[in-house]
Amino acid sequence: MGPVIEARGLTHEYPDGTTAIRDVTVSIDEGERVAVIGANGSGKSTLQLVLGGLVEPTAGTVTYFDETADAEAVRDRLGVLLQDPDDYLFNTTVREDLEYGPAQLGMSREAATQRVTDVAAKLGLKALLDRPPFRLSGGEKQRAAVASVLAFDPDVLLLDEPFGAVDAHYRDRILKLVTDHEGTVVLFTPSLDVVADVVDRVIVVGPDGSIAADGSVRDVLTDGTLLRENGLRPPATVALFEGILDDDDVPLTVSDARAYLLDEMG
Amino acid sequence: MTGVVGRSVESITGALRTVFTAEQVASADGLLQRRDPRVSVCSIAGLALAVMLTRTIAVTVCFGVVTLILARLSAVPLRRLLARSAVVPLVSAVIVLPQVVLLPGDTLVQAFGLSVTDDGVAYVVLFTLRVGVGVALLSLIVMTTPFSSVVAAMRELHVPVALVWVIAVTYRYLFLFFDELQRLVLARNSRTTGRSGLRGGWRDATRLVGTFLLRTLDRGERVGRAMRARGGARPPSPYSRSRTVDRGDYALVALTVVAVVGSGVIRWGL
Repeated sequence: MGPVIEARGLTHEYPDGTTAIRDVTVSIDEGERVAVIGANGSGKSTLQLVLGGLVEPTAGTVTYFDETADAEAVRDRLGVLLQDPDDYLFNTTVREDLEYGPAQLGMSREAATQRVTDVAAKLGLKALLDRPPFRLSGGEKQRAAVASVLAFDPDVLLLDEPFGAVDAHYRDRILKLVTDHEGTVVLFTPSLDVVADVVDRVIVVGPDGSIAADGSVRDVLTDGTLLRENGLRPPATVALFEGILDDDDVPLTVSDARAYLLDEMG
Repeated sequence: MTGVVGRSVESITGALRTVFTAEQVASADGLLQRRDPRVSVCSIAGLALAVMLTRTIAVTVCFGVVTLILARLSAVPLRRLLARSAVVPLVSAVIVLPQVVLLPGDTLVQAFGLSVTDDGVAYVVLFTLRVGVGVALLSLIVMTTPFSSVVAAMRELHVPVALVWVIAVTYRYLFLFFDELQRLVLARNSRTTGRSGLRGGWRDATRLVGTFLLRTLDRGERVGRAMRARGGARPPSPYSRSRTVDRGDYALVALTVVAVVGSGVIRWGL
């Protein structure tokens, strides 16, 4: 399977002189599950905007689906969720926001209605569909924003902090939706505790905006030194067993840790 | 923010935000709500055109009465309609007010060496009334038809894409504009203790306006990206909410045609 997104030598500098990302070269293959992690201000969100074709890089190139450098030409295949739901929800009702993407991208009304109903039910939004987004709570806005990007069923999901404001119940539901997504998933997050549940590969963005590491989820999440050098901490389960078990045996998720402990207790 | 200026900013922001987002009436069961959105858009635009053609106060008042009747039959609270429509004609009146002394005509009152003429007063009253009735008609369509239906109807009526695009984007940005201002005021209030005087209030308001402009620009850019992320770089394509055109729709179209023709006949003769 070829790359769905291929970036070479990406650098982006804001008008005030801040270099957000520096010489980033990365390739995301079809069907891959990738997390881009990094400390606050490391440039994750800028990288997401550049990979999503929403910000023009100062230097470097991005190509999509092995064929085009024009993100607008493949907009219906890219699901880019921005960090702040208040930016993402700009219509007068939640229903209109969920319908916005499908309508813009030419999905039939019947297919869109089915899709919107389905996604709204999964994220507990049915009762909120006719309410203005600004009247929602922070968690409800977050769910509506996630639903808006899932509503047009893109091949590639580029999600910036999709679990930010939601409670544990809906975080699990979003996790399940993302895990069940049949296409490619790229998750931009500083929350390492959820990463191992969703992805197979982790890219670490260093404090200077360059790629500090790119490897399997186990290799990266069990490398405490690497994570700390880049302003991060290992997930709780990894920290618990760090130095006690070999890196290859350290459980990465709570369910793995539970299974390990039950096994040890006989 | 405390003080007179702060309270004013807060109340104006709250009111305007409500005005631009209040579409609750659009879901009520009323005359205009039952109409096909294409018919509503065409009819209201036609009536607004008829108002603009009028040159007599009596005919303009008649259109005003028709507007109020339509509002009443559409379950639109008259007070809310008037509140929503009052600002623009009042500002217009202030702008054209000098015409009361600039236009030649029979003198009604003389003061400070200036003559207020009957033609001048008639012009200002007519102008303000026409603007007021026109704005009330446009408010009526926004209050009785969901905005996405208005945009969809315009697309179906083959209104130029660029115009539909500008209207759709302006509406969305206005909503965010007031949302941003209200958030700023709330954030400010949460960390303001004690009362500031009028001077302090003005100083705070000046700072707030500066920050507001910067944040609005920034948010505008981010919302633009969010729209592009979901295909917003293409012309707006909301789903059609058109229904089957029924007798009520034909009646409204007939009323509009009579109004436009009548207005034209009164102005230019047969």
